[in-house]
Amino acid sequence: MSRQTRVAYAFLAPGLLLFAVYRLYPLLEGLRLSFTNARLGRASEQWIGFANYTRLLEDDRFHVSLWNTAFYTVASTLPILAVPLALALALNRGRLRTLLRSVFFFPFTLSVVTVGLAWLWLLDPVVGPFNYYLRRLGVPARSWLADPQTAMWTIILTTVWWVTGYYLVIYLAGLQDIPRDLYEAAALDGASGWRSFWAITLPLLRPVLLFVVVTHVIGSFQLFGQVFVLTGGGPGDATRTVVQHLYEAAFQNFFQFGAASAMAWVLFAVILAFSVLQFRLLRGHTEY
Amino acid sequence: MPRGVRTVDRSSVALTVALLALAVLWLSPIAWVVVTSLKPAPDIIRLPPEWIPWPPTGAHYHEVLLGSSRTARIGRAFVNSLVVAMGSVILVLATSAMAAYPLARMRFPGRDLVFVLLVGSLMIPNAVLLVPQYVLTQRLGWLSTYQGLIVPEAAMIFAFGVFLLRQFFVTMPRELEDAALIDGAGPWQVFSRIIIPLSQPVLAALAIFAFRSAWNDFLWPLIAVNKPEMFPLPVALALLRSAYSSESYGPIMAGAALSALPLLVVFVVANRRIVEGVRLSGLKG
Repeated sequence: MSRQTRVAYAFLAPGLLLFAVYRLYPLLEGLRLSFTNARLGRASEQWIGFANYTRLLEDDRFHVSLWNTAFYTVASTLPILAVPLALALALNRGRLRTLLRSVFFFPFTLSVVTVGLAWLWLLDPVVGPFNYYLRRLGVPARSWLADPQTAMWTIILTTVWWVTGYYLVIYLAGLQDIPRDLYEAAALDGASGWRSFWAITLPLLRPVLLFVVVTHVIGSFQLFGQVFVLTGGGPGDATRTVVQHLYEAAFQNFFQFGAASAMAWVLFAVILAFSVLQFRLLRGHTEY
Repeated sequence: MPRGVRTVDRSSVALTVALLALAVLWLSPIAWVVVTSLKPAPDIIRLPPEWIPWPPTGAHYHEVLLGSSRTARIGRAFVNSLVVAMGSVILVLATSAMAAYPLARMRFPGRDLVFVLLVGSLMIPNAVLLVPQYVLTQRLGWLSTYQGLIVPEAAMIFAFGVFLLRQFFVTMPRELEDAALIDGAGPWQVFSRIIIPLSQPVLAALAIFAFRSAWNDFLWPLIAVNKPEMFPLPVALALLRSAYSSESYGPIMAGAALSALPLLVVFVVANRRIVEGVRLSGLKG
């Protein structure tokens, strides 16, 4: 081994140790556990093949959780793409850019629990201000989080409020990278603002849109905190998610580590499938 | 074309006014948290909503910080969160800067493999690692300890940190390094006296990113800590809610406001760094 190589690996060693122990090993250990009947405190675990996976095929609550999680991911994608993009376009033209950017970004610095508690109180069906002002506008008060029709949409609303600032900053950076003269040329040719948005802004933002969608999909499929604080998965199982199901199987009921690991790997497969799909849809030809 | 100019102006003013109104609306949930935390209990549920808590009271803050024995004390949880977040920041900065240096500036067998492995790991959802991570932490005897929170939180950010810092290290001019090497400096001196001091902006961005991530994480501490005196803030707050929700939102909102405080300070002091960090994080796509 050359001296250079030894030096390089000496620098890498602490980080690679951390990475191997707390990322790589758990990934493989989780896969192994998913083929066993491991439980907390069980002295010897047995290899049970695909039994954990086939059991998931019959687990109705798991199906509901998977459906809810997929619904949340798909339903929130458009608002997550569009709201920050609209804000970014407006901020890019208007004044007070830095101030407004900070304001919209601020909720993103809060923890999911803080966000959940704030909205729980705002949305209180009896004394919360949200319903009070809606009543003043003639909309009847309702328990947005206790109604299966509105509970998941309410979680989407709070999440959009929480993360918009993050994507806004990313969009603003993407917009700055688009050469100004493209717009000037388009304006000289008589293109309207709307037309140059479709013909210039959107195509050139495609890599940014791809990043936003993939990041959002990976995050949404792991939805947990909002649900834990706002609804507990209810009403009924209307907002129950995969990670919540996994959390309860592994850490609330019987500590079924094997079964929970199988859920984790199914979730991983679904996330990968969705990400590949997004890449296919949005990558296209981005050379310009 | 005086008329045309005036219309453009007017529409841009209208846009700014609309955005300002939206900004006020956007901040109103946070304002409501703070307002509620400062109101005496009977005023909290009074309708129509009162947006100015007058006269303000510090009773709820006193209760959650010092008085209550019903749940984990928020004061203690605040300290726990600070220890965990700072510890994780230090561990992330040290390990990812050291790893990024050879990846950016040395040639050695396996370099590309290591880098691909690290970048590929950014696609691993944290929730997938939850169970085996718990089993591992239990075997190490680290449940309900600071290291049981610090090390996994740092591991979550490490690969991203390497990616971010490598991007920056690659762009530094080689002459700086060569001059030091001619003067007889070893690789450690080059790293600690040249590379690190010149990378302060990007290191600060990474530090804020890691701090935010560890300060706000909820799921991992929820399962890795089962002693109330070791709860970090998000877990303590979630429990505070079940302890008080039937009586009063006052203490809960005081706890929520306190949890937002450190990042608010960082945000006001280092707004540009945060934005820069987020912008750089977008590059990973």
